[in-house]
Order: sequence, then structure tokens, then C-alpha cells
Amino acid sequence: MELLQFTPAELAALLLSIKVALWCMVATCIPGIFIGWLLARKSFFGKSLLESIVHLPLVLPPVVPGYLLLILLGNQGILGKWLHQSLGITVAFTWVGAVIASAVMAMPLMVRAVRLAVIQVDSGLEAAARTLGASSLRVFFSVTLPLSAPGIITGLILAFSRSLGEFGATITFVGNIEGETRTLPLAIYTYTQTPGGDVQALRLVILSVALALAALFASELMERRALRLLGNKAGRD
Amino acid sequence: MLEPMIELDIALDRGSFKLQAALTLEQSTAGTVAGLFGPSGSGKSTLLGILAGTIKPDRGRIVVNGRCLLDTARGVDIPIHQRRVGLVFQDSKLFPHLTVKGNLQYGFKLLAEADQRFGFDQIVNLLELEPLLQHRPSQLSGGEKQRVALGRALLASPGLLLLDEPLASLDERLKQQILPFLRRVKEQLGVPMIYVSHNINEILDLTQQLAVIDHGTILAHGDFHDMLTSDKLLSLANSLGPDNALSVELTGKSEELGYCIASNGDNVLFLPYTEAPVGARFSVVIPASNIALSRKKISGISIQNQIPGTVSAIRIVNHRALVTVDAGSMLIAEITAKALHDLKIKIHDPVYCLIKTQAIRYFGKGD
Repeated sequence: MELLQFTPAELAALLLSIKVALWCMVATCIPGIFIGWLLARKSFFGKSLLESIVHLPLVLPPVVPGYLLLILLGNQGILGKWLHQSLGITVAFTWVGAVIASAVMAMPLMVRAVRLAVIQVDSGLEAAARTLGASSLRVFFSVTLPLSAPGIITGLILAFSRSLGEFGATITFVGNIEGETRTLPLAIYTYTQTPGGDVQALRLVILSVALALAALFASELMERRALRLLGNKAGRD
Repeated sequence: MLEPMIELDIALDRGSFKLQAALTLEQSTAGTVAGLFGPSGSGKSTLLGILAGTIKPDRGRIVVNGRCLLDTARGVDIPIHQRRVGLVFQDSKLFPHLTVKGNLQYGFKLLAEADQRFGFDQIVNLLELEPLLQHRPSQLSGGEKQRVALGRALLASPGLLLLDEPLASLDERLKQQILPFLRRVKEQLGVPMIYVSHNINEILDLTQQLAVIDHGTILAHGDFHDMLTSDKLLSLANSLGPDNALSVELTGKSEELGYCIASNGDNVLFLPYTEAPVGARFSVVIPASNIALSRKKISGISIQNQIPGTVSAIRIVNHRALVTVDAGSMLIAEITAKALHDLKIKIHDPVYCLIKTQAIRYFGKGD
């Protein structure tokens, strides 16, 4: 049972990971839905450019987006300097920065899930809603959004999970500060680099696995529920 | 003089498909339903899409009930949701995440009370939807779905209701169940409707006023029987049937002798036996090729139906003579050119239409 006696530092890493992952879901939610919908339903100039930029984090080594974020939002960065000097906001080397890093890394997963879900919504249903007097905005909220809910939930869970596993971008952008930016993967890495830290590392590994399984289980449950609400036929009738 | 129900003049060019349509449909006192008939791919659905606003024509002008919906010359283009043009789709397009009640209320709730032309309960009762209200669309049969779709469109108080092949995905038995509801809507609600179909009998069951479209062009419009005498429709002569559709009311029947008696205006028709109760109203189809003509009434013959009338038009198509007879209702008889010549039939001649009982089909029951 000694294996389950967590130290305050380990608990802090766990709670921080959950906090960052939840905020990552919040941060990716609205932009992810918007971009996913845009890519699924609209054609516009620069569409393939937007698509490429959103998907970049998926194919780049995570250190690269982390470094780009540092250049952009670091205290000496292009935007970061202005944020720091005029608004007193610092994101580099804080947990908020960790959220931004995981959100950037999770965005492609969220956008892909939403786009796929929106494409599967019969656009004839949207046309029907419009002929019944609903404005485009109302059609989106009353037809498109509820019918793509299962895909949106999948995207959010993916974002949550991606954030739990985020390492490269986080350590590059916000460092490895205990209690502020040291999430589970960073803590595991730190313990493996410390002499005699093997047991602690193993404990956190077990914790990570449990957390990931819980997230997947929750997603399965919510998706099934959403599908039931749609009459067991995800948006198709 | 009533203002026209629809004035339309539009052009659309999509490379392989061109649509060029100019049409004025009058609000007739006989009813407010107009049919739009044409073979598959003729441009019917595109025309409806343009009226509803889901398809943008290259140029044109649309006025519905005196309200201009589109005028490319003046830059007018009312958005779809403000057009108040209802659309009932072939595959109903019910919202799967809402109950039947939720579907019916979707457009209804968006209206200010003053703009609600019909009460919720009125439509529910008219279309007999009460037992379905709590169901999900996935639990409904095809016919029920179309009834809900019709109710949903009507509750949005459209100034014009477009029905795009609403019966095409239903089998013959279900068609027969929906048609009475469409007739009720026509007779009781007075919403102007355009009924689109590639099946002429379906249209004639609701209205004699129709427009014929093919290859993206309106070939003719007006009364069906006037149109049949027009040469413009020759290319469609085969798909037009020509069949006769008659509305009849069952007045008597004998199971033993295997026949029913029905009235159509002043005429009495002998029909094949049916389970329908006396007093039922429905349509029957008589193929033109199954009507023979005679100069006088014939006795000692097995043919039960001998309907008197006057020849009102004669048209020769592909060596066949199509004779239109005014017998209260218009009947078209198809005879050979030789028969026409031998009988010396001319316009205004009195003739008898001879129809075998077994040649009469109940509308919607097989072909």
C-alpha cells in the first residue's frame, strides 16, 4: 500500500494536470467548433491554408510549437512583451501558459472531430430549418450543434487526453516548475532523472494510466448518451 | 381580378444544366393548388429550390402573392428564412433530435402570435398527429413522417407551400393514405401550394391546373385538358399517359357480383369490387387506351360503362388519335387513326365512351 501513499508534490502534479486538461477543453471548445464548422460547411479564400496551420502541431515535433509560443508570448516575445508591459499579464512559465501550449497541441484533434461530425449532419435538415423561418445562427444552434454533439464530445475528450500527455511544447514554453507547470508527464520525467526516483515515477505512471482510462470511459458514456438522444442514428434519418 | 399567386422569370446556367423559366400562376377560384409536372432531371426541384431560396439563379425575378422575393436587376434577394415559402421534401427531413411535437413547433414558435395563421391543435387534428406527438422521427413510418413534415411546414404559416415529390418515397398503399390529407389541406386551409411530381396521376388527384417542365424549360401551363391539345407537349405524350384520373364517390357495392357503383358528377361508373365503404371518396385511373368510342349506346355487350359526352378536341400523335370527350369530366380516349376515320368523329359530335369495369384502376394501387 506504500505505493499509493502520494507525496504532496505528486498530488500537486496530479491536480495541476487535471486543472490544465480541463482548461484545455474550455479553451479549444469554441474555436475548435467554429473552425471545424467553417472547414466542413464553407468554402472561402485561404481555406487550405487555415487547414494546414491548424493541423501543423499534429505533424511538427511538439518542441517546435512550444518554441514558437515562447517567441510569440514569452516576456520578451512579440505579443508577450506588450501583454506584460501594458496589461501586466505573464503567460510564459505559468500554468496558463501550460493551458495555451496544450490547447495549441490539442486543436487539430478537436477540429478534425468537429469537422467530421458536422459533415455527417444532413445539410438538408439545415435547409429545412431555414425554410421554417430560422436564421443561420439559429439553425446552427438548434440543428447543426445538437446533431454534431457526439463528435464534439469526442473532440473535447481527445483534447483533454492530449493535454494530459502534453510534454514537449509545455516544457519548452513554460518550463518545469513544481506546483506551477510541472504536470504529470513532467513530474515523471523529473523523477526518472533523479537518483532513487524510480518508485515515484512508477506511481505517477500508474496514476496517468488510470486517469486516461477514466477519460476514455467518460467519453464512451457521454457519446452513447448523446447518440440515444439523437434516436440512435447520429444525425441520420 | 385576383393578383397572381406566382410570377416567375428566372434563368440559371450550370454548364451542363440550363434552366429558363417564365411562369405566371393565377390564384384560381377552383383551388389554390398548381401542379408542376416533368420527368426526372427536368428541373422541377431546381425551380422549387429557387423559389424557396436555397438555390440562387443567375438572374431573374420572383413575386409571390404580390411580394417580391427576388429581383436580381434591383438587387432584391429576401433570405430563405424570411421568404415564408414552405418546403416539404421527398424524404421529410424531420429533425431526428426532436420529438414530433418539437418538429411541429420548430417554425411555429418562431412566429409572433399575430403571424400564426393556424393553431397548433388545428393542424394536429387536421392531420391526425395527436397519437404521434411524443414519438421520435426514427419511430415513424414513411407515411407518418410525411404527415409530420406537412404539419411542420404548415405551422410555419407559409404564404406558399412547395411540395417536392412528397409521395415519391412511399409505396402505393401509403400514398393512398396521404392523399386524403393533402386534399384536406387544399380544401380547408387555402394555403397556395405547388405540387411537384413526375407522376401525372398524383397531380391530377389534387388539381387540373399545372405547368409542364422538361429540359429546364416550361413547356406549357394551364388546365390539363387544354394543354393536352397543345402540340408543345408532344415530346411528353408518353410520360403524360395519357391517363384519365377521375374523382368519384362510392355509392353502392355488391361483393357477390364483384362490382361497386360510384358517382362522378352526373355520371355513374361501375368499378371493380373494393373494400372501401360506401361514401368513400377517391380517385380512379382510366388509361386512355382502354376507352372505346361509339356513336350510339350499345345493348347486349359485356361492357358496363357507357358514358355519353361530346367530342371537344381531337389530336393525332404517332398515328394514334387522342379524342377528348366532355362527359361532365373530361375523358381522353385513345383510338387508332383508322377508327377515327371510319367513325367520322368530329369536334362537337355526341359519342359514348365505353369502359370495361376491369380496365378501371383505383388510384395508387399498382400500375
